[in-house]
Amino acid sequence: MTCESPSRPTWRSYGTDRRSTRTVRVRLSAVLVTAAVLAVLLVPPLVRLDQQAVDLGARLLPPNWSHPFGTDDLGRDLLLRCVYGLRVSLLVGVVAAFTATVIGTVVGATAGALGGWVDRGVMRVVDTFSSVPHLLLGIFIVALFRPGVWPVVVSVALTHWLSTARIVRAEVLSLRSRPYIDAAVSGGASRWRVAVRHLLPAVLPQAALAAVLMVPHAMWHESALSFLGLGLPTHTASLGTLIQGARGSLLAGQWWPTLFPGLFVIVPTLAIAGLAGAWRERINPRRRSELML
Amino acid sequence: MLELRAITAGYHTKAPVVRGASLTVAPGESVGLLGPSGCGKSTLARVAALLHRPDSGTLLLDGEPVRSWRHRAPRAQRTAFGVVFQQPRLSADPRLRLTDLIAEPLRATGRRGGIEERVCELAASVGLTPDLLDRRPHEVSDGQLQRACLARALALRPRWLICDEMTAMLDASTTAALVAAVEDYRATSGAGLLAVGHDQVLLDRWCDRTIHWEDVTGRTTPTTGRLPQASGRRQPSVVPPAGER
Amino acid sequence: MTSRPPVLSVRGLSVRFLMPGGRRIAAVTDAHFDVAAGECLALIGESGCGKSVLASALLGLLPANAQAAGEARLGCLDLLTADERTLARRVRGRLIGLIPQSPAAHLTPVRTVRSQLEETVAALTGTRGRAAVRVASETAAERAAFPTGHLDSHPHELSGGLAQRAATALALVGGAPLLLADEPTTGLDRDLVDHTVDELRRHVDSDDHEDGTGRALLMITHDLMAAERIADRVAVMYAGRIVELTDARTFFGTPGPRHPYSRGLLQALPQRAFTPVPGMPPELGDLPDGCAFAPRCERASEACTALPSMSGQVACHHPHVPEDLRA
Repeated sequence: MTCESPSRPTWRSYGTDRRSTRTVRVRLSAVLVTAAVLAVLLVPPLVRLDQQAVDLGARLLPPNWSHPFGTDDLGRDLLLRCVYGLRVSLLVGVVAAFTATVIGTVVGATAGALGGWVDRGVMRVVDTFSSVPHLLLGIFIVALFRPGVWPVVVSVALTHWLSTARIVRAEVLSLRSRPYIDAAVSGGASRWRVAVRHLLPAVLPQAALAAVLMVPHAMWHESALSFLGLGLPTHTASLGTLIQGARGSLLAGQWWPTLFPGLFVIVPTLAIAGLAGAWRERINPRRRSELML
Repeated sequence: MLELRAITAGYHTKAPVVRGASLTVAPGESVGLLGPSGCGKSTLARVAALLHRPDSGTLLLDGEPVRSWRHRAPRAQRTAFGVVFQQPRLSADPRLRLTDLIAEPLRATGRRGGIEERVCELAASVGLTPDLLDRRPHEVSDGQLQRACLARALALRPRWLICDEMTAMLDASTTAALVAAVEDYRATSGAGLLAVGHDQVLLDRWCDRTIHWEDVTGRTTPTTGRLPQASGRRQPSVVPPAGER
Repeated sequence: MTSRPPVLSVRGLSVRFLMPGGRRIAAVTDAHFDVAAGECLALIGESGCGKSVLASALLGLLPANAQAAGEARLGCLDLLTADERTLARRVRGRLIGLIPQSPAAHLTPVRTVRSQLEETVAALTGTRGRAAVRVASETAAERAAFPTGHLDSHPHELSGGLAQRAATALALVGGAPLLLADEPTTGLDRDLVDHTVDELRRHVDSDDHEDGTGRALLMITHDLMAAERIADRVAVMYAGRIVELTDARTFFGTPGPRHPYSRGLLQALPQRAFTPVPGMPPELGDLPDGCAFAPRCERASEACTALPSMSGQVACHHPHVPEDLRA
């Protein structure tokens, strides 16, 4: 067999394509999330415009130079309303997601670390809650209170800690059977020390990731509850109330009061999910061990 | 004296992994326990190290029966054992630097002063160079990590060492180095050793005496929960060699 | 043995990893070796010496931050420049059969051995029709001495030995001229090691390969006893370089290896002196300019600050020569 003369190439790299498309996606997500956070933090104090300012002479204007997103049926500027709405939705999303994660982590870690009847009891409670559709349970909880931001936060938080509790418990159970826990026991560590020094640090990154992934979900829940008229009072601009208020005009052919708040729900939530996905790849132990020789 | 008498242990009461195993290690003695993989010898090692409560049987420590295992065991009793496992990657908390890994038993037992010196001393005794101590487990090789795990096991100056397939994943040179480190420690401390493994040549070379799994369990067939499995030296092949079918 | 044309010919293969912060890790440096049909080359060395990275490079499975140089020819194909499509369609399974480290983990846990074997047969050999595939996969199982009675078992129901045979059967299906075994005996009992190794040897010797020449086997291992049992030639790797490449019989028998590191490795065996090589291997990210083994070597001298070149069979300034071995 004859081969062509061997060329002497220099260093060749591998797998750069996948990495670069991923980088672009991650950067785009980062830019969008940063823009959303800056907008909700900076616009209200810096832009001295009243988002509630009614201008009946400018009702339902399509997008134009002075109102880039158009106006709603009371002549309020939709761009401003959307930013304020995002502010409320983000607040609800972040607070609810983190509350749910803290509850879930504490419950799951306790069940997993103590085991025995504590574990069985706690997990039966989790199963019971899980058997009820969580939107239904959420509606039930908000219905107990007057409309407002905090009932929505409580409702979303109380219905979303279950999956975190399951994940954390499973993680703790699998960690508990690792030889390094045996070694810690043999090295004289108390139960408390094993939990704080070895188990919690191992589940925290997972739990934090679950929290970030839950932020978009919680924002959607806020929108859904408000859209159903159960969440926030209609005069409070949230993305859900904005979409709900636009229902009538959509049927009349006015698309902008629905489209822009809709985009404000979808784009930031996808961006947050994109960042969380990149983070998950980072903490994935397999990627870390890529270099193990 | 470390005596295991008629130990039955496992993870489901209906299907114990170890049935009626008995074994004695005298102070300062080194005993090799030889058995095929999956036979339950690791479980027996965990029972001996107070890490797994047996379903039945007695464990006598210096003539006193042991009544509690794991966290329930008195701390002084638990820490009288140093354990080293087969897979260093699973035996080391991935978040701890090697220096913290080795110091962990010292801190867990409330030692305050002199930790740094003690860690240096331990690292030197297992042949770890100081530059490695600042690394995390994923930044060192299996052999280096196993050295750190051995240093951790020696930190509290145990009276008994339990080495469960300590060298199964390692190359010849690291194996020889780790065995030498264990023997150095035993020579100065007089600690007893139970070395569990499947390599007869290694255990014969390392230990005062080597016992076979089937002699420990009184020739009962080990339950493995798997299909055909080699059950010991007298039945060397798992399935008939290719030519004999 | 060496008269046959090589199946795999590796020339100047180097692999390095680019780490965050601009650090470079030289995992493999300037490796040269051939493997011929009907021959087994054992690549031995301590864990972390770069031998598994070398295997990944041959299979095109290097991670994204790796760079490779040199060439690895399999026939006219350079494995290092081949694109992913070529590797997937022509190389893996068809030109190189991989025998994995832990066979039980290599098999899909939820499917029977038969279904995995049939899928592989259909994908690699172009056999069509259910009956034909079934017959072909049973033949494949027999070739690896996997009892056909166990074909309908799931991987977790198999003993270590049977799982190893199932994995070997899968590796043999495509009729690959080169078998690559990556630590096939780690964690196995000694009896099982001997069996696994003997069966691999049988596939090297047997002429069931289409050319009637037997297959070439590159076995990567740290198990010196397994290497002694199977290998025709031995390559010793230290700190990313092949430091000795020699005939297995002279390596394990008399006069023994010539590189001080190879001798140290053999002397560490419990069958021999059971004394470790002093010290630890150097960091691949921080290799000395000269001989990487010099800091651990009792023969080291001034000359060792320069890199020894591979002369004949050994890369060392002070190799053991047959005269002082006899003394």
